[in-house]
Amino acid sequence: MGTLLVHVPPVDGRPPLSLHLSAGERAQFGRGAPGHPVPIVLADPAVPRIAGEIATAETYWHLSNLSRDQNLVVENPEGAGEYIRVAPRRLSAPVPFEFSRVVLATRTGAVGFQVYAPDHSYLDVTAAVPESGAATVSPFSLDEQATYFLVLTALCEPRLRDQDVAVPTTPQIVRRLRPHPQCRTISASAVGFHIDYLASTKLRIRPPDQQERLDWKRGTLVSVALRFGLVREEHLALLPRSAEAR
Amino acid sequence: MSMPTAGTGWAVRVPTGYRVGPWEVTAPIATGNFGSVYAARHTGTGTDAALKFIAPPPTARHAELVELAEREVAFSRQADHEHLVTALDTLVVDDPGQPFHGAVVLVMERAERSLQDLLDEGDAGRPVPGAGRLVMQICAGLAYLHANGWVHGDLKPSNVLIMADGSVRLADFGLITRLDGTHGYGPPLGSPDYQPPEQWTECLGERGIHIRPASDVWALGVTAHQMQTGGSFPFPGGTPGARVAAAQEFAAGRAPLRLQGDIDPGWRGFVELCLAPGTDRPPASALLQHAQRLASEPGRPPARRRRPRLRRLLVPGLLVAVPAAAGGVWLLTAGEDPTPRTPAAATVTVFNAEVPCQEQRVRACSLGLALDPRKNYAADNVSQHRVWHGDRLAADCVLYEGSRVADEYGVGSTTWYRVAVAAEPGGHAWLPAVRTHDAPTLPVCVLPR
Repeated sequence: MGTLLVHVPPVDGRPPLSLHLSAGERAQFGRGAPGHPVPIVLADPAVPRIAGEIATAETYWHLSNLSRDQNLVVENPEGAGEYIRVAPRRLSAPVPFEFSRVVLATRTGAVGFQVYAPDHSYLDVTAAVPESGAATVSPFSLDEQATYFLVLTALCEPRLRDQDVAVPTTPQIVRRLRPHPQCRTISASAVGFHIDYLASTKLRIRPPDQQERLDWKRGTLVSVALRFGLVREEHLALLPRSAEAR
Repeated sequence: MSMPTAGTGWAVRVPTGYRVGPWEVTAPIATGNFGSVYAARHTGTGTDAALKFIAPPPTARHAELVELAEREVAFSRQADHEHLVTALDTLVVDDPGQPFHGAVVLVMERAERSLQDLLDEGDAGRPVPGAGRLVMQICAGLAYLHANGWVHGDLKPSNVLIMADGSVRLADFGLITRLDGTHGYGPPLGSPDYQPPEQWTECLGERGIHIRPASDVWALGVTAHQMQTGGSFPFPGGTPGARVAAAQEFAAGRAPLRLQGDIDPGWRGFVELCLAPGTDRPPASALLQHAQRLASEPGRPPARRRRPRLRRLLVPGLLVAVPAAAGGVWLLTAGEDPTPRTPAAATVTVFNAEVPCQEQRVRACSLGLALDPRKNYAADNVSQHRVWHGDRLAADCVLYEGSRVADEYGVGSTTWYRVAVAAEPGGHAWLPAVRTHDAPTLPVCVLPR
């Protein structure tokens, strides 16, 4: 718990940057200064040398705005326009989103980076709400409102409907999800991202002993999700209605 | 009916007085989202039991829940130990008139209350009454499970039941896992505060995640800490998320273990052993012996202030160093069997924690005896006489506050037995208590200052 993944997209020929922060770790971002390099480099002259700092904190994270006069905005790309504004000099503002885009407004537009906080936890669906003592929590809990959960449900759909044992392909998933208001513009690469995020970060899928197939990820995701009841028949209602499903 | 009945929020509402098989429901106990537990009495024998009703299909995850119940019963059929709750039977409700027609019912031994209840009732900051004895019994249950190739997988105070006679039973074997070599596989469930840090980075395969006996030992450490402190968790934080993050920082080596200041130093050492950051935590059998010694040492509470030295020695890094150093020294010399010279008060049998050495009477497997138990256990403080696993020595007294010795698993003690060794000028040498399973009743040794 307390893990953060930071991703800075490639800008002006600079390679993309990925950073992993564990519990108790923090990282500054900005343009950087001679003698004071920052781990998260945003190479734009309008960005302060040290613009801010992110720090892990249990299941969420903290954002400090170290600039004197610039607002920081944290957008939730999955939250239908949900965002937080962090005022200049504000320290340790809590950010509750699983997916965040930290944005600094500049004269030429906006620069930013993404922060994923995959360790949100949920009460296990079969567990009682305890009056005292410890709740049984699934360490692999998933946000059933997130796009990745729609992708996972779509992957599991044929098996849940006893239609077909074949796991849907990425183009099939894209076609299946496009009618959903959350997925109007979903692309094949976005589906690929969500599958990778589920397999390597959210569920931490172990590769099968004999790695005979390249697409083991989606097959293993489906069998694990069904085996452990992470996706159930009731979740099919999350998917857009489809002709073949009726 | 005027008897209490389960309320509207209950997953399975069974009226008081309802009969299923030979059991009559007497009172509601607790509910989850997909099952409810009731107290019941056997209509023939009058035996008390707890009935867990699992909501019938088409409830979500019904098959999985029934599988957990079946695991529990299958486990109970094979396991028989005084510190494990017995699942007596499973039944299926066959009563088309009831909304819970088709529910699977798990019949279990009825307990008075859980350890969590005891923690809730107790004073925060103070050990729960009989904490040492209770921890010892939990260890005994765990040691039995592990010795028979099982891992509990969800040890926590609410899964430790206290029976009418005050004894402890481990319960809730829905997550119990059969070991396959060094680890088993189980469903990815559990309670964050009791899950070892490695579980958060564990990979999920089609059979589940790896679950090891060391996972139970971590949960034991957390539980023991709560019992010794009246409910405090060993890691700081106001939420499970914060505490899990703190445990991970500790496991990653970025933060030291900071247990509550006023926990008894002996039990602090016990908790620290259980909360080792890696997965090579001491086995439950060794911890059981350790707990037995701690629970039986006389006058423990006042010892808190008398032994500041012990606390310092219990820093985990040092614990690792001590057995290594002792092992090196203990293999320095070889000699013949010690023979008792004077009649002794008790016999202690030497125990070598290294299993391969339990069979072999070779030099490398011999253990040493100290000449002075208060001095550092070093080369100039070792008797020429070696002893081996299984040797029976005549002990005449016990010393509780000697120098600290830990065995190969890091189980340490300051207790020593004075044993007869004819060839030594004084006629005796000293066996550290970590080198025997016996705990004889002996007079305390009186030593010159």
